[in-house]
Amino acid sequence: MNTDISIGTGNPIDRVEGRLKVMGLAKYASEFNVKNLAYAQGINSTIAKGTITAIDTSEAEKQKGVIKVLTYKNADKLKQYDEELPAISTSSIQPVLQSADVHYYGEYVGLVIAETFEQAQYAASLVKYTYSEEKPDIDFDSSRAKAYRPTEKSDYSRGDISQGLAEADVTLEQIYNTPIEHHHPMELHAIIASWNNGNVEAYASQQIIDDATLTIADTFQIEKKNVRVIAPFVGGGFGSKLHAKQHVILGVMASKQLGRPVQMTVTRNQMFTNTNLRQRNEQKIQVGAKSDGSLTALSHDTLSHTSTYEEFQESCGTVTKMLYKTPNNKVRHRLMPMNLQTPFAMRAPGEATGSFALESAMDEMAWKLKMDPVDFRVKNDTQVDPSSDKPFSSRLLNECLKIGAKEFGWEDRPQKPGTKEEGNWLVGYGVSGASRRAPYQKTSAKVILELKDSEVFATIQMDATDIGTGSYTIIAQTASEYLNIPVAQVDVELGDSDFPKTLGSGGSWGAASFSNGARAACENAIASLEEKSGLKIADAGLAKLMRSGNLTSFEAEGTAEPDEEFKNHSVFSFGANFTEVWVDKDTGVFRIKRMLNVASCGKILNPKTAFGQIIGGCVMGAGMVIAEQTKVEPNYGNFITRSFADYHVPVNLDMANIDVIFLPEEDKIANKMGIKGVGELGITSVAASIANAIFNATGKRMRDLPITPEKLIVAEKEPGVA
Amino acid sequence: MRPFTYTQPKTIEEALTASVTNSDSKYLGGGTNLVDLMKEDVERPSQIIEVADLDFNTITSNDTGGFTLGAMLSNSETANHPDIRKNYPLLSMAMLSAATAQIRNMATNGGNLLQRTRCPYFFEVSMPCNKREPGSGCGALEGANSKHAIFGWSESCVATHPSDMCVALAALEATVTLQKPGGTSRTIEFTDFHRLPGDQPEKDNTMLPGEIITAIDLPSPKFQSNYHYLKIRERSSYAFALISVAAGLQISGGKITDIGLAMGGVAHKPWKLIKAEAFLTGKMPTKANFEQAAELALRDAKTLSDNEYKVTMGKKAIVRALEQALAKTA
Ligand SMILES: Cc1cc2nc3c(=O)[nH]c(=O)nc-3n(C[C@H](O)[C@H](O)[C@H](O)COP(=O)(O)OP(=O)(O)OC[C@H]3O[C@@H](n4cnc5c(N)ncnc54)[C@H](O)[C@@H]3O)c2cc1C
Ligand code: SF4
Repeated sequence: MNTDISIGTGNPIDRVEGRLKVMGLAKYASEFNVKNLAYAQGINSTIAKGTITAIDTSEAEKQKGVIKVLTYKNADKLKQYDEELPAISTSSIQPVLQSADVHYYGEYVGLVIAETFEQAQYAASLVKYTYSEEKPDIDFDSSRAKAYRPTEKSDYSRGDISQGLAEADVTLEQIYNTPIEHHHPMELHAIIASWNNGNVEAYASQQIIDDATLTIADTFQIEKKNVRVIAPFVGGGFGSKLHAKQHVILGVMASKQLGRPVQMTVTRNQMFTNTNLRQRNEQKIQVGAKSDGSLTALSHDTLSHTSTYEEFQESCGTVTKMLYKTPNNKVRHRLMPMNLQTPFAMRAPGEATGSFALESAMDEMAWKLKMDPVDFRVKNDTQVDPSSDKPFSSRLLNECLKIGAKEFGWEDRPQKPGTKEEGNWLVGYGVSGASRRAPYQKTSAKVILELKDSEVFATIQMDATDIGTGSYTIIAQTASEYLNIPVAQVDVELGDSDFPKTLGSGGSWGAASFSNGARAACENAIASLEEKSGLKIADAGLAKLMRSGNLTSFEAEGTAEPDEEFKNHSVFSFGANFTEVWVDKDTGVFRIKRMLNVASCGKILNPKTAFGQIIGGCVMGAGMVIAEQTKVEPNYGNFITRSFADYHVPVNLDMANIDVIFLPEEDKIANKMGIKGVGELGITSVAASIANAIFNATGKRMRDLPITPEKLIVAEKEPGVA
Repeated sequence: MRPFTYTQPKTIEEALTASVTNSDSKYLGGGTNLVDLMKEDVERPSQIIEVADLDFNTITSNDTGGFTLGAMLSNSETANHPDIRKNYPLLSMAMLSAATAQIRNMATNGGNLLQRTRCPYFFEVSMPCNKREPGSGCGALEGANSKHAIFGWSESCVATHPSDMCVALAALEATVTLQKPGGTSRTIEFTDFHRLPGDQPEKDNTMLPGEIITAIDLPSPKFQSNYHYLKIRERSSYAFALISVAAGLQISGGKITDIGLAMGGVAHKPWKLIKAEAFLTGKMPTKANFEQAAELALRDAKTLSDNEYKVTMGKKAIVRALEQALAKTA
């Protein structure tokens, strides 16, 4: 499948699995050919809070093809949470259909299993529920009294924030809002589950294979080794597939009850109600600075919501702890249990939203201080992470800002807001700084070498996933580099829990972890072969090493993990975003004219796939500003945006050309190969860059996302703007 | 989706007869609205009668000196037709601002007139909605109504008509031709075709049961040089209008001698700005006059809890659309 004859990393090669994808040969979870398959369709509650008092399944059961209707009355008893409001992680249990209680609008209250998908879907609409309804908590404002501190770690402080503000010559206090958003990867969540004598085999669209097996095993209280999860291709996740959701459990349960394989696909509508969301965040930022621009205080309070039965906190304050040098810093997170679905991590959780607040506030401060916003950020740089006192492994934020300013033509930025015109448009420039933690996880891989004629062919196996980001390609490039054979001679097999363990794709750790895992396996293979043959690969080449040992095939495993150096440093990727916007003088409409993203994220394994990650992030960040939001109906608690006709993500015409500059860098403290994450850096702080450009164009400070025409048209200019 | 039968009549007579035998029937044009609503369980016909392939798919000149658009012709073919581009560029511009190329390729002219509101309560069967289920209440009246009407609404329904094409047709003063079972046909003024909700919001228009739209008639060519369709929306394409304005001007001797002005996104029907039209007729096309006309047009607006912005947006949109129309002169 792979035709690239180049060797090693760093080349902008095409995706090695690209051909399979465009030919429709790459199989996604619901596309596997499994014999004797039945189809399940979930049923959603139509109230936000209350209890089911009666269920009439008779009409549904009468329908042709219907095999079974599952509700809380006949569902398997599953492991329940041990505590009230448990914090959920990527491997938490997922009890479902365990009681008559309804916690939010759209919660699964039943499942119809039939011979065909259409039969299941139609019968699902015929199951009748009667509820005893209670008044739900769906209003953000009236839930404030319920705000609580989730964990001790939700609070952080250093220095004395009131003193820092008192010492300041200039201060700012503002509130920034980001709405509920949804992940909506292109591939719908899906599972084909087969329960066989206590063994489970599942094709499931998941980002972390090992955690999915754990969730299934723990929820059904079976041994993890009896669960196999397979996902060779995943059509995006953005965090929604980090964790095996309730449909995974429902699919397995249905198969267990029927004694035959069951497919369950979450519909696009259900992707709003049953695969988690990014929560609404209300962020209060306080900043203090001396008149020369040095920060004296930064404070970041986040108020958000969780469900009434599970807890998840998006750590918006993370960026504020570490991005700028300030002696006095306070960060707090509070949650309100509400009758809404449990939130979960969405691309750059905390950073995407937190950086909107922080980087907007930095822009506001620069304006108050009459400083250039680039200079203001540069002035407050720090090479030591102030939240941990550890040095950054590498931090090129200032370089990103300065190089970006030069390349973008920042000197043409109108000094005064609202002064640069083009016909009916007002032109503005915006900037923001970005940081995103660059984690690195323990990762194992296996390499299988085969000698055919005089050429060595390699296969790498690991349970890593490719969620559309390019994992297959960079792993192949890495193996090619360490084995010194063409990429075309490397095959990569991913996404099977029978393969060596990784932490899958998420949190921007994939590239660094997978590549180093593959490297370790290849290095071990070479070391063994060199020892056996007494030859050196550098002199003899891989084929000779194998031939001299009379080997036609050879296997080795390897594991890479963070070392002491990594632990003694603070490891982040950094970046800067520059945007030019044109805002219509009258209609409330704005257009992004161009964007430049400068990224410092370690060694770039493949400039082509890395570029895709950054521009994809920029578009998603632009979506946060343009129109993306999930609206809660104020009286009933359902979502009024429930399809792509009303949940607006950017279209081509909304976006302009995006240029990306990767600063040449290898961060050998981060890991042996010098790699840091790119997947979430791109989205981080783009929203602020655009909002700051809108201020520069109009003098209007927009602190609530998204910035729709309906808001922009009635917004007033900031006091003090001419 | 509920089970239904599907018929493909060869002639309009067969189609009309099929509808008489089953009062639960729906005609099918491109299906871009009807099929979506069937999937949502909002529309529940037991019989589908396909009319898209009937013989009403041409553009011909008519005896008023204008052109007749076949009801079954696609939105794309209509908007891009040389006769339409040349003679009614306002209509082309409005139609091409709608939906996406793919949807416009499927959508028919008749279906476009009959597309239903995008009110989220209408789309969600578990919510109250008088239009979908008369007597169940209007969820939007005191709910999420930022995209709802500011003109002509009633306590029973505050929905808007979503079409762009229809706003241009109102400005152009088109007529609609209908044929009813039994064979007779009739013609309705475009502004009388859609109706206000009153206490019967389930009725979007004044069509009789079983009638088929066969044609849309346009008067002699209008506003070929001074026209503009302004559409304000949440993203640059593939989004319905928050507010739209169709503006056409005929200018002679420095004065406005004829004007067509209509708004979308503000009422249960395309909203013809009759007072503003009357005010501007005979006046000079100046910004000051446009602004006065806009004030006049929005004077009777009645806002809901979340849509006050539409008054400001409406005024600005009228002025801008007129300015752009004026600027089109070579
Ligand atoms: C995501 C999305 C975005 C859209 N955006 C826009 C937009 O921005 N602007 C805009 O204006 N529109 C937009 N549309 C709507 C689109 O224009 C309409 O769906 C389309 O015009 C309907 O035409 P159709 O032929 O597909 O109608 P159908 O779906 O086939 O029919 C609609 C209704 O008309 C009836 N019908 C059809 N033809 C006849 C006939 N000849 N006589 C009698 N009854 C008939 C049907 O029974 C049905 O009730 C959008 C649609 C979608 C799905
Ligand atoms: S506005 Fe009309 S369509 Fe919307 S809920 Fe009210 S009655 Fe239904």
